[in-house]
Amino acid sequence: MARYAMVIDTRRCIGCQSCTVACKVHNELPVDMIYNPVTTVGPTGVFPNLHMVHIPLLCMHCENTPCVDACPTGASLRREDGIVWIDEKKCVGCKACVMACPYGARIFNQEKGIVQKCDFCLDRVEKGNIPRCVQSCHQKARIFGDLDDPNSEVAKLKNSHHTVRLLDELGSKPSVFYIYGLEARMK
Amino acid sequence: MSRKHDEWGWMLAADFFFAGLGGAMLAIAGIADLFLGDAQTSVLGNFAGAIFIAIGAGLLILELGRPFQAFRVFMNPKSILTFGAWNMTFAIIAGLLFASFGITILPWSGFILVRKFLAAFCVIFGLVVATYPGVLLARHKARPFWNGPGIMVLFFLSSFITGMAGHILSGYVIGESSWFIAEGYIVSSFSSLVLQDLPHLTAIMLLFQLIFWAGYIWIKRSGGTEREAEAAQRWVNGDLSASFQLGFILLGTIVPIVLLLFTTPAIHSVGACLAILGGAIMRYLVVRAGEDRTWLPGEQKYRSRLPVGDEEFLKVWK
Ligand code: SF4
Ligand code: SF4
Repeated sequence: MARYAMVIDTRRCIGCQSCTVACKVHNELPVDMIYNPVTTVGPTGVFPNLHMVHIPLLCMHCENTPCVDACPTGASLRREDGIVWIDEKKCVGCKACVMACPYGARIFNQEKGIVQKCDFCLDRVEKGNIPRCVQSCHQKARIFGDLDDPNSEVAKLKNSHHTVRLLDELGSKPSVFYIYGLEARMK
Repeated sequence: MSRKHDEWGWMLAADFFFAGLGGAMLAIAGIADLFLGDAQTSVLGNFAGAIFIAIGAGLLILELGRPFQAFRVFMNPKSILTFGAWNMTFAIIAGLLFASFGITILPWSGFILVRKFLAAFCVIFGLVVATYPGVLLARHKARPFWNGPGIMVLFFLSSFITGMAGHILSGYVIGESSWFIAEGYIVSSFSSLVLQDLPHLTAIMLLFQLIFWAGYIWIKRSGGTEREAEAAQRWVNGDLSASFQLGFILLGTIVPIVLLLFTTPAIHSVGACLAILGGAIMRYLVVRAGEDRTWLPGEQKYRSRLPVGDEEFLKVWK
């Protein structure tokens, strides 16, 4: 069984928001819903040594899922391959998962009365394709694959670089790993 | 972007308030019946406990995005909301049945053993219903104002204060309209020791509440993380401070302490009303404080730049 994960190389991300737009189009999201924003930290430092980092955010597909535990209907589920998804037929829009998610990854869709989130483009992954945001990233800052396959690019990157997981101290064990580029840019 | 996307609304706060009030009223009625005997709380108060929980459940349903699918919230036993939903259901049933024993014309009103069993169920389910909202909030690790056992204690305390105030008020109301009692249709609680002592007990609990809240805000303000301190600051001199200090602390805690120390039932009932109002204000403010999440890098700046209030324009434009 695969264990899907994403590595985000912030050294490559230029903050163009192509992934944000591609995701919105692919998932046909209403104007006021965004699954994967790209935030910007900085510029920090003192001229001429200024630096800035862009951080693409999305559902972290946590291993310990506070969202799934909070869901009273069983609509929030985690598959064996690590993808966390919502069975929209069962969701009643109670927002318990929205409040439980430490990453702000879940959004209430007012038109449908349900909560929605990034599911690593489950429809595409099941057909052997990569998520839409990964495909659309012209800088190849998003790398998706099977962590259990030692020959996959995600496994190689994760093992060869110092990666961090956001809010790791909360113990939710995200499947999204970040390579931070500040030191690299400074050099 | 409207905030409805990522936070609970006032109806959830009202659900927590009514669940706490009703659950505590049932628990108090059950404890009084089990340990002090019959008719320690008024029949009206006993019914009101169950009805308040039902109102809370109704508001919870209205808060849902798909209210007609509400039955689904009973489905995941691992979720604390499911646990709460089942307990609210059992508490409503146990509470209504228990309260019905106070109507003397009903044929089962003399079955003392059955009443005692129902009183025990009222204690168990009432306590769970009064406590679970606090537990639910306390488990949110990334919501700095909620996280930790403190909020559970504060909710539990407030539930019991409002529950006691509810019984004081019900006792007063039924005392003022005592025709049913005079005619022998319902059990009289005029000589109840519990109802006599509740005002002073409530005043003491309100004093505890004052001390606990001061400690809670102080601890959070000097808390482990910057976000925790920022979240607490909203209660000290931020956007929640006026409602907290004037509405909850002054009107909902200090004034009722004074009023409940008087000896006149009418003044007690005013104090009880204010204590209940304080409980409602507190729930609303605590739920609103859930807006404060531990930000991810750059997230605060990103969200502050999203347009607010443009949704309608964008929809029409589409
Ligand atoms: S990021 Fe949030 S929604 Fe995604 S799996 Fe983790 S807790 Fe659930
Ligand atoms: S909003 Fe839907 S997915 Fe989220 S906890 Fe409620 S029922 Fe589950």
